[in-house]
Amino acid sequence: MRVEYINPFYQATLDVFRVMLSLEPKRGTLKAVEELVPVSEANVGIGVTGDLRGSLLYSFPKAMALEMVHIMSGMRMTKLDAFVTSALSEVANIISGNALTYLSKNALVCDISPPQAFIGSEGTLSMSTEKAIVLPLITDIGTLEVSISLHGK
Amino acid sequence: MWKEHYRVGSDLIDTQHQELFKRVSSFIRVVQGDGPWVERLAQVQETLVFMQHYVVIHFADEEKLQAEIGYPELERHRKIHDDFKAEIQAFAQTVEREGFDEEKVQEFSAKVMTWLIMHVGREDQKIGEFLRSQGGHK
Repeated sequence: MRVEYINPFYQATLDVFRVMLSLEPKRGTLKAVEELVPVSEANVGIGVTGDLRGSLLYSFPKAMALEMVHIMSGMRMTKLDAFVTSALSEVANIISGNALTYLSKNALVCDISPPQAFIGSEGTLSMSTEKAIVLPLITDIGTLEVSISLHGK
Repeated sequence: MWKEHYRVGSDLIDTQHQELFKRVSSFIRVVQGDGPWVERLAQVQETLVFMQHYVVIHFADEEKLQAEIGYPELERHRKIHDDFKAEIQAFAQTVEREGFDEEKVQEFSAKVMTWLIMHVGREDQKIGEFLRSQGGHK
């Protein structure tokens, strides 16, 4: 897992959060983990295929997820229902797509699978046995953790 | 939902965008509202029909503007519009076939919301920038 795969995800999150949420996420300290483990209540997993393959896991604390939806819709919501998880899935999907566009500038062509949302921090999302890097993205409404496990052919 | 910085500088397009945001916003209020689903269903159906028609009109007007000003990314933008129209169409067919399931409608309305914010907030802003670089819209 190469660290240079990480920056496109930071850049893409910054772009998307600016447009959609008027937020400026800051990078936290990267950490290496053995597998993709959801750390918060609202999670979105996305598979990657192509020149790089692996998985991405977006982990949102519940309060952050609800506040993101409040910023977007103007409505206060109290539970992680299908509307909220669908909105988070779309945000994760857009970030991933944009990050892969940045990676394609380095001649790496990849595709993503449709996002899969799941609630709760039980279990792991182990699609590979290789290590992942966790990128914390700190915002005024909470910290999103993006776990990235991408490997070349 | 609508924010002033979403303006692109064309009165027609800005008015249509505001209408779209207003409709999507009230759609979400109905979908996420209280009360039995059967009672909210009529409004959901009505909004879906409106969206199907209105996006066609709006996208056509926006593409016409892009052609008029010689916007270089028209074809790419048209493709994004066509893909979105196809998604709405596909959803309309699904609910026609399978019925208006509350959870499916919730998922769809969130998709429409994020698409609209991202599209108007980023893609359409590029039209605005181009328009301004050409001296604005007459």
